[in-house]
Amino acid sequence: MKTRILIIGAVTILLVIIIFMARDLFLTRPKIESNPFEFEMDDLKKSDSSQIAYQEIKQFKPGLSEIYGIAVDPLDRVLVSGKEGVEIFTPEGIIQNRWPTEDGALTIATDQKGNIYLGMPDHIEIRDSTGRLIKTWKIPGEEPIITSIAVTDLFVFAADAGRKVVYRYDLSGTLLNRIGEKDPQNSIPGFIVPSPYFDLAPDRNGFIWIANPGRHELEKYNYEGKLLSKWGFASVTVDGFCGCCNPSHFTFLHDGSFVTSEKGIERVKVYSPQGDFKCIVAAPESFEEGTRGLDLTVDAHDRILVLDPVRKNIRIFVKKVVQKTDER
Amino acid sequence: MKIQNRRDFLDTLVRGGFLTIIALVGGGLILRSRKSGNCTLNIPCDNCLKADECSYPEAISFRQTVWQLDPSKCIQCGRCATNCVLTPSAVKCVHVYAMCGYCDLCGGYFKPETRTLNTGAENQLCPTNALKRKFVEDPFFEYTIDEVLCIGCGKCVKGCGAFGNGSLQLQVRHDRCVNCNQCSIARNCPSGAYRRVPGNKPSLLKGYAKESPSINVKKVQV
Amino acid sequence: MKFTLVFLLILMQGLHVSAIQRFPRPEFESGYSQPQTLVPDPRASILAVLDVIILIAALSVVTWLVLKKRSRMGVFLVSVVSLIYFGFYREGCVCSVGSVQNIALALFSKSYGISLTILAFFTLPLVFTLFFGRTFCAGVCPFGALQDMVAFRPQRLRSGLNAVLGLIPYIYLGLAVLYAATGSDFIICRYDPFVGIFRFNASFGMFVFAGLLLISGIFIARPYCRFLCPYGVLLNWMSRFSRKHMTITPAACIQCRLCEDSCPYDAIQIPVKQKNPESKQSRLRKFIRISFLIPLLAWAGGFTGSLLHEMLAGVNPTVRLAKQVMEPGKDRSLPETFEITAFRSSGKPAEQLFKETKVILDEFYWGGWLLGGFIGLVFGLMIAGSMRKRYQPDYIPDKAHCLSCARCMDYCPVKS
Repeated sequence: MKTRILIIGAVTILLVIIIFMARDLFLTRPKIESNPFEFEMDDLKKSDSSQIAYQEIKQFKPGLSEIYGIAVDPLDRVLVSGKEGVEIFTPEGIIQNRWPTEDGALTIATDQKGNIYLGMPDHIEIRDSTGRLIKTWKIPGEEPIITSIAVTDLFVFAADAGRKVVYRYDLSGTLLNRIGEKDPQNSIPGFIVPSPYFDLAPDRNGFIWIANPGRHELEKYNYEGKLLSKWGFASVTVDGFCGCCNPSHFTFLHDGSFVTSEKGIERVKVYSPQGDFKCIVAAPESFEEGTRGLDLTVDAHDRILVLDPVRKNIRIFVKKVVQKTDER
Repeated sequence: MKIQNRRDFLDTLVRGGFLTIIALVGGGLILRSRKSGNCTLNIPCDNCLKADECSYPEAISFRQTVWQLDPSKCIQCGRCATNCVLTPSAVKCVHVYAMCGYCDLCGGYFKPETRTLNTGAENQLCPTNALKRKFVEDPFFEYTIDEVLCIGCGKCVKGCGAFGNGSLQLQVRHDRCVNCNQCSIARNCPSGAYRRVPGNKPSLLKGYAKESPSINVKKVQV
Repeated sequence: MKFTLVFLLILMQGLHVSAIQRFPRPEFESGYSQPQTLVPDPRASILAVLDVIILIAALSVVTWLVLKKRSRMGVFLVSVVSLIYFGFYREGCVCSVGSVQNIALALFSKSYGISLTILAFFTLPLVFTLFFGRTFCAGVCPFGALQDMVAFRPQRLRSGLNAVLGLIPYIYLGLAVLYAATGSDFIICRYDPFVGIFRFNASFGMFVFAGLLLISGIFIARPYCRFLCPYGVLLNWMSRFSRKHMTITPAACIQCRLCEDSCPYDAIQIPVKQKNPESKQSRLRKFIRISFLIPLLAWAGGFTGSLLHEMLAGVNPTVRLAKQVMEPGKDRSLPETFEITAFRSSGKPAEQLFKETKVILDEFYWGGWLLGGFIGLVFGLMIAGSMRKRYQPDYIPDKAHCLSCARCMDYCPVKS
């Protein structure tokens, strides 16, 4: 009798084990669990919708597999540089022309005549609007990364993220001086560029503004290289620049306001010419998580064109029309 | 051959049959890996699966494969810390110094809302103080990982990936991993980031191949 | 061809440089040099060779102890050494039981190449068993060694119960091969009961699993070996045709019956006296019945397997993901699973996922037929085997089920 009980007991245990194995194998539902080590970034990405003063009216998609830089030429055409080459669009986004380049140009700019300056990592190519190569300028130094070019009436500025310095050339390609090199005696702190995002833009008063991403500042220099002023601070709040190195790109509106784009907390914002936060153009919700490289440009009608490298399209934002409520 | 009776003869026949099957299966599996179209490539290559045209000869070998995770697929869900059969996990954060920006405001070290940038515990993302910050020179700070303390939770990886260059990556450390036949973390990884890699090239650090020495596999002329 | 490849390699180096974003290196003025990222090496491959050498040594010693020396104590001691080396030192991984899965995966997957060590762990015990019986189970397998140690009060089970429970390893083997071949999971490793003991580190579920199995092992000797082990199925087959299996008596059997209750595993066949020999007619009838029954059972099993193929496929992670993606969001308030988040951020289109899932479901459909057919066939053969009346005069071990533990030898009074 006792042996019977033992046998039945032991066999039952065995069968229970097998039933649990089968249950675990076939009947487990996908777990909805939370990560105990979650790094909450969702709160950081929430934005106050009342601060969004722009709306997206249009997108168009270049045919390039990857897109890097955007610019607007004197005829208000949109130029996009990407992995295979350059594409030129009308202001409405209709393709007009395209031509290939050997490498992908990280940045693109135009001059008053409509010549196109392409920033390849270690050299600058000057082409005309049909894509014919006019000139090539070699960048000095080892391992340069040209991330931004700007052309004024007389000068060409190129930002080198590798050497962390801005070069000023004249129109024939002669290097005139370097701007922003670390110079404690002249109280120039030097640029901190941890990631390959280093942007510059000339303003209308004859000065050049250069982003110092590691210090979360935009700095104003005269053409000879003297640091005149700066603004900006690090913060995850909407009025500062987040993360380790921002803003990744910036440009000017016609009234001298700054348009900046950041990575980490992906957003495009407008600051007053004095550096006070004004409004949001595009909040993090408008972008895929992890989008970086939001190159910006402003066209003749003060529309802001944002290059979205993850969705691989160009997005056009215009200022929202504020409905005046008549309260009498 | 002494055939005692019919039974023994049948036994011998079947035994011979089993031996043949074992030899065929074993030999076949060994030969298969050498022929074109089948390879043991599990390294960051083009995945052409053509052993004959391989430019990574170290990959075609019979080394024990080990488990490794692909940081480009990782979503930092935290399961690496909780699913390993070892405690603490054999997955640790690894710093690819060549990619690091040495920032003062490190996205992987500091909590986003940090006000003063110092090593105070209240400022740190890392729950176990495994990520150490050391001043090098102005404005650069060196960040190193104490692997004894790291639990592989991925918080710093997420921060570095979002705000920084992505130089902090989770990887299986093979001086700790016991190399289970089926990795428990691999089974539960939501993005399928785990795969088997050859034991002599056990890392899948993502980044710039030229500057990340650990994935510097030698290419040879075929 | 060579030139194009070299040219491509050089070009690829160049393309590699400009296509990936380059990270501007900080310029250190204080003489700081960047540390190297260290990648530690895994266990030296020479140690894997050592494992195979020790496997061969253990198999040889146990076989000699069982067949030549006929020493139970010797077998026991070797099993303890195996428990310590393969169990606690190597932590039970990689083992012969799990190697079945590696073989299945290597046969059906394009990108998995099996290592020679695992191949050795699979084939060597089979070859030894093919010649000398299940000496692997006796003194080399750490699972068996562990269970052997807790078998204090082994009870005799009726042959019917033994037979029915004996079907389970076939099902387990079939499922393990199916899941390994489709690359879904290694279920033998997943439900390995003793690895938690070997590692001194187990989750609660594993701990309970091992504990229950060992408790049941006090009264049913070696429950995993007899009623779960999938590798045991293969060893069973090899052992049936083994050339020189161990015998209870070193010489002729004198039918003294002293060994009748000596086997904890019910693996001794007691003599069957030849009664009235069966009429040819009855034998023919049985044969006809069997030759209908077996194919019928195989077909029925296969059909059932194919019907269940979707449930079987639910173990595959791609199929599970596809199910999650397809399910209309039942409860929007619940946070989505990590699998969905990862799928979205991978950028893979859902159509491609569903295409892959369809392929896998097809694999499981045929796999279900094969699995079900296999089990049906085994069931039929089991019935056929039970219907056969075998005359035999002596006490001999049942070659299929005897684990060569050599306990019975001590009971036999015949000394040579």
